[in-house]
Amino acid sequence: MKKLAVFTAIMLLLLIPAVVGAESGEVLIENSRGFDGKQVTFQGEVIGVMIRENNAWVNIYDNGIAIGIWCSADNARNISFSGDYTHVGDTVMVGGTFHMACPEHGGDTDIHADNFTILAVGRVVARTPDLPTVVVSVVLMILAIFIIFWLRHVRKEKGKVVPWPMSWR
Amino acid sequence: MGLRKFSLKAFLKKNLDFIAGVLSEVGLTAVFIAVAALICLLLVAVKALI
Amino acid sequence: MIPQLTREDLKIIGYNLGRVGNIIGVLMLVPIVISIIYQEFDIIPHFIAASALALILSNLAVHFLNTKKEMELKHALCVAALAWIFMMMLTAIPLYTTHSTGSYLDANFETMSGFTTTGLSLAQDVDHLSHSINFYRHYLQFIGGMGIIVVALTVLARSEVGSVLTFKSEGREEILRPNVARTSRAIFGIAATFLVLGTVLFAIVGIYEGMNVGTSFFDGVNHAMAAFSTGGFSPHSQNILYYHSFPYEIVALIIFLIGSFNFAFHYAVLSGKRREMFKNIEIRTIFITLMLSTLVIAAGLLYFNVYSSPEILFRKAFFQAASAHTTTGFGTVYPAQMSNVWPNLPQTMMSIIMLLGACANSTGGGIKAIRVGIMAKAFFREVKKALSPKTAVVSEKYHHISDTPLTDTVVKGAALITIGYIVLFFVGTTVTMLYGYNGVDSMYETSSAVGNVGLSCGVTSPAMPSMLKVTYIFLMWAGRLEIMAVLVLVGFAILALRKGIKK
Repeated sequence: MKKLAVFTAIMLLLLIPAVVGAESGEVLIENSRGFDGKQVTFQGEVIGVMIRENNAWVNIYDNGIAIGIWCSADNARNISFSGDYTHVGDTVMVGGTFHMACPEHGGDTDIHADNFTILAVGRVVARTPDLPTVVVSVVLMILAIFIIFWLRHVRKEKGKVVPWPMSWR
Repeated sequence: MGLRKFSLKAFLKKNLDFIAGVLSEVGLTAVFIAVAALICLLLVAVKALI
Repeated sequence: MIPQLTREDLKIIGYNLGRVGNIIGVLMLVPIVISIIYQEFDIIPHFIAASALALILSNLAVHFLNTKKEMELKHALCVAALAWIFMMMLTAIPLYTTHSTGSYLDANFETMSGFTTTGLSLAQDVDHLSHSINFYRHYLQFIGGMGIIVVALTVLARSEVGSVLTFKSEGREEILRPNVARTSRAIFGIAATFLVLGTVLFAIVGIYEGMNVGTSFFDGVNHAMAAFSTGGFSPHSQNILYYHSFPYEIVALIIFLIGSFNFAFHYAVLSGKRREMFKNIEIRTIFITLMLSTLVIAAGLLYFNVYSSPEILFRKAFFQAASAHTTTGFGTVYPAQMSNVWPNLPQTMMSIIMLLGACANSTGGGIKAIRVGIMAKAFFREVKKALSPKTAVVSEKYHHISDTPLTDTVVKGAALITIGYIVLFFVGTTVTMLYGYNGVDSMYETSSAVGNVGLSCGVTSPAMPSMLKVTYIFLMWAGRLEIMAVLVLVGFAILALRKGIKK
């Protein structure tokens, strides 16, 4: 009985990689074949939401790789922010089936979500102009305008000079 | 005296030629796409037969 | 006997570089409009500063290097070659100062990739870039695809001769209208037409597929610029895969296929000469090579059980093949999957078609369909000659807008440039392999750079060694200029070193 329990525990431990804790996007894509058809967990920042009738595509970004998640439209509607220049997107954790080439979605690499959890709501990122950069840009542009007009003036003045006629030499 | 006489016929012909040309080029790409799709269909059919 | 270089030669080059710089300085102000729309006021000073610097340097060059001596072919080739470097360095400034790239070298890589309409990217975190910087990247591809040097010099041309020489030095052989200025305007008109068409189509599909209106139009205009210029940049790191949309891929296919056609072909068809679509050697050549390569790539992927249904084969095999052959670079397959999942046969076939390239006098790169067509016809001619009696006169012609005899001079020209591309390919592959990458991946990435394609199998990344980045900048630059201008520049430099510069 004890041997059976130990054997079962070992087998369960060996099965864990197939049903795991969150894999990184890089690991999933680098080992697409290995993860194809398996249950995975993926966590990252929402960077895009496209609702299509009762379902939705939610693109999730994790450390350089973004993967499309096919989930229900209700899950997508609960998302508050998509990440971009002035927003940090919601952090979500998704559990579902990874497809290297999804037969339902034209061969795209995706995850069909069985569960979808918003771990943290995103936020607005304030981007204010940097004062030294503003000063440098204004100074440079004033200098550029000055140089353009000054050189134009010099060329105009040069053009006004009348050369001595040949007979005076 | 120096101005060219405006010809409505020429103006319409030029613009129609242009629009027809744009549609033709889109049509040409559609031919590329259609033949490629046929190739993909045929390959899968051949594999199923083998 | 090659004459010694004079100061006047250097002045002509410097003066014309200044004229190009002036145009670039003004063009760098355009993305400010996007900054204002999206209220990204922190980005505006970066564009202003870079533009001002470009205008200062260029106006000083134009003023102090002014010369009455007329431009010759050697000057035009050097101006064309150096202008890309000069533009790359100036336009890299906003990317670097906004921390859109990790270093100034990466920023130069990005702008060279933009101008040459390659599409290999070292931008950091594309999904979180500002709208104006993202627009700027695609905008560089659009103006690069139009041949910005041509635009600059024909707008400011002092003489027709100078403009024609620069036009030819940029690898554009055909003049569509009576003079080069009108030809440039015609090119611009054609590009604007398909830019508008592409934007509208992408936007409509975007809205239909669930994106909001603003994003649909923003992504639409960027993708239209990248598609028509066969550039391949995208506002998202997943590229076209971000949209998970078959209609979006179809629109992309239509626009980038059109973008890969010769401008003279566009001009003929848009003027009513629609029979050109069936008779043109480039259209026939690219049709044959694209369909054959699709067959090989799709068969390989099917055989090795990577993809199994006709729809998947079309959306992955054909889309990638078309993107590679037209030297666009839009992707629906992750770079790492190209290396780890795609078998060697389809991946190698992709390398070959990336080198074959798009049509000549288009926004595309590579060896060009007209040269491939000419060399194929030359082979047929030689076979015909061998099978014919000794006294028989065997001649061949090809149709490109008009019927042209296939002479030995034409074949020699095509073959020389092809050899140049192959040499670049070998150099690039060897250097990449020296850094530890395998042969197939090295060939793939090198063809992508030399052919100005932009598809990656994972070699191109911010973590790439600096010397490899420099190598790829060189490959993109030389590929775009079809090698000749680069060789003349090298010749100039060697001449200056050996004989010095005469006053």
